[in-house]
Amino acid sequence: MAVSGFEGFEKRLELHFFGDDPKNVGLGLRLLDFESLDEDVLQAVQCTVVSAVANHYFDAYVLSESSLFVYPTKIIIKTCGTTQLLKSVAPLLRHASSLGLTLTSCRYTRGNFIFPGAQPFPHDTFQNEVVYLEDSLPHSLCYRKASVMPSKIPLALVARVLRFHRSDVVSLQRGPGDGKSGDTAGKEMTEITGIGEINPGALICDFAFDPCGYSMNGIDGDRHSTIHVTPEDGFSYASFECVGHEVWTRVAGALEPLGMKCRSCALDEFPAAGNVAYQTFTARRK
Amino acid sequence: MAAEEGQVVSVHTVDAWNEQLQKGNDTKKLMVVDFTASWCGPCRFIAPFLSELAKKLPNVIFLKVDVDELKSVAQDWAVEAMPTFMFVKEGKIVDKVVGAKKDELQQTVAKHVATASA
Repeated sequence: MAVSGFEGFEKRLELHFFGDDPKNVGLGLRLLDFESLDEDVLQAVQCTVVSAVANHYFDAYVLSESSLFVYPTKIIIKTCGTTQLLKSVAPLLRHASSLGLTLTSCRYTRGNFIFPGAQPFPHDTFQNEVVYLEDSLPHSLCYRKASVMPSKIPLALVARVLRFHRSDVVSLQRGPGDGKSGDTAGKEMTEITGIGEINPGALICDFAFDPCGYSMNGIDGDRHSTIHVTPEDGFSYASFECVGHEVWTRVAGALEPLGMKCRSCALDEFPAAGNVAYQTFTARRK
Repeated sequence: MAAEEGQVVSVHTVDAWNEQLQKGNDTKKLMVVDFTASWCGPCRFIAPFLSELAKKLPNVIFLKVDVDELKSVAQDWAVEAMPTFMFVKEGKIVDKVVGAKKDELQQTVAKHVATASA
């Protein structure tokens, strides 16, 4: 009889590929036409594109539920709420194969859901997620590992990810019926919060949802960053992800003065896939 | 009524580009230039929306420039991310929208159409 609210915790899927002709991968996954991406992949997951931007290295999409990044041989999808992210694996592999690309590694991670009972199959249990994912992957992937990390953070991630909770994300709340578009309100929030200054060299694609919720993707050369905030009272959630340590430490440094305290740090090693670090920040006790 | 009205016109050569700029100058019409690329997924996402916008606004000149095809133009106009929409009036850039953002694009067009007819 628990009251269910919006699930902020994202599920995150990262797939890496190599080309049949590795020297000539070129645009790779970026050649996937938008209709296929939208109708086969995003519809299976149950989300849509709200805004997007690209540079010479990759495509970045802000989704109705988080973000999607498409690199020539890598795809990253993050979705929150009750989306069914793992349903995207099969159509993605099918499309990649039609482009002459073969899967080399797959990483699926998520945090502990705030409202686990609201999640549909296969996300209803960790066990079901593992089985569903294993069934979706080709048998050629030999190193397999599923793990539950300490500090209530199941599974792991390759990029450095920072997670923090705040109940007073006031500046990220839109005024009721403010009449602004999601693009305009998003831009304002990027400015007010100082998110635009985390990496001044990055181009930001942002969006503010009605009545609340903020998403941004940053593109800086071949590196992406992404921030998602769901500021609902009582179950607020925010996440930050980026590639590269320099930017990450700057965000961590920016959080402590806001009253955030690093509560836990978890590190896990994945064969042939590098290390994964998770840090959890909570509001400092008054 | 010219055949190009109500459509997004693809510009493939520097000569054609200069010609379009001149036309924009002469007619004093608002020009919206979509800097796009064949490999850019977000550009494919916004393309149908831009076509619809062009249909609704025959008095605005909509151009499409492929940044690989017209590299020098893209460089001159400092285009780094795709799609980038430049709003041009009488040879001057009056506004810019970076990214496939439907609402922002529509609002920016509306803003400049309003000032043009005022």
